[in-house]
Amino acid sequence: MKQKQVTCKDVMHHVCESLGEDLNSSKCAAIKAHLDECSGCQNYFKSVEATIDFYRKYNVEPNEETHNRLMSFLGLNESE
Amino acid sequence: MDEQKLILEAQAGNNKALAELVKRYEKTVYSFAFKICRNPDKAENTMQETFMSMVKSLKQFDGKSKLSTWLYRITANHCLMEYRKKKREFVSFDDDDALISESSIADWDSIPSLSIENKELKKILDEAIQKLSPEYRIVFLLRDVEGLSTEETGKITELSVPAVKSRLHRARAFLREEISQTVKR
Repeated sequence: MKQKQVTCKDVMHHVCESLGEDLNSSKCAAIKAHLDECSGCQNYFKSVEATIDFYRKYNVEPNEETHNRLMSFLGLNESE
Repeated sequence: MDEQKLILEAQAGNNKALAELVKRYEKTVYSFAFKICRNPDKAENTMQETFMSMVKSLKQFDGKSKLSTWLYRITANHCLMEYRKKKREFVSFDDDDALISESSIADWDSIPSLSIENKELKKILDEAIQKLSPEYRIVFLLRDVEGLSTEETGKITELSVPAVKSRLHRARAFLREEISQTVKR
């Protein structure tokens, strides 16, 4: 991996810290330049994105019984 | 009916409006509770307690924040209380550098192709996030999974923006590393 002014560790910390933020500082420009050229850091960036994406997609919803128990618990039965 | 009108009606004692509010947020609250505790029974219990708190204190809700923000806060606090009772131990973050391992970077090529319907992957995700303390877990879930802003996440968790960012950074790096290590085994 490339070791210029910005190291791969710097990039990885930055990816974890600032993913999803809109950043325009000079440090960000250096990070972006490093990312453009370093395949290891690109993979790291993608893997952090994939981690977040997995947790986003792993979803559960209450079923009808759960819903009915909730309304009953709150005394808000729809038949009333 | 728009939400503000529903809240006013519910505050005035209209049970139909209250039931409608519960229905609108039921999925959000259940799903968020499940994501924190990774257990359907605990998620159901948390959802019931969250809405019971809402019913009891809706009259005090002044509308300055969004109802969803208020519900996220009640859900998060309920989960935190439950975890504090159990005094479980979680991963500690004494060394941020240890969270980042350059050696495992290249091993992710096959991972993104895994489907979230894969039971083994679900187990890996459950186990990884349960090692994180709920304080870190909640920040990661609010910001990255529920898609709230850093500022909203800070309001819900009563943390400063830098503290939210710090917890998020550690949670992201830790989860990525855990998944990477588990898949490698």
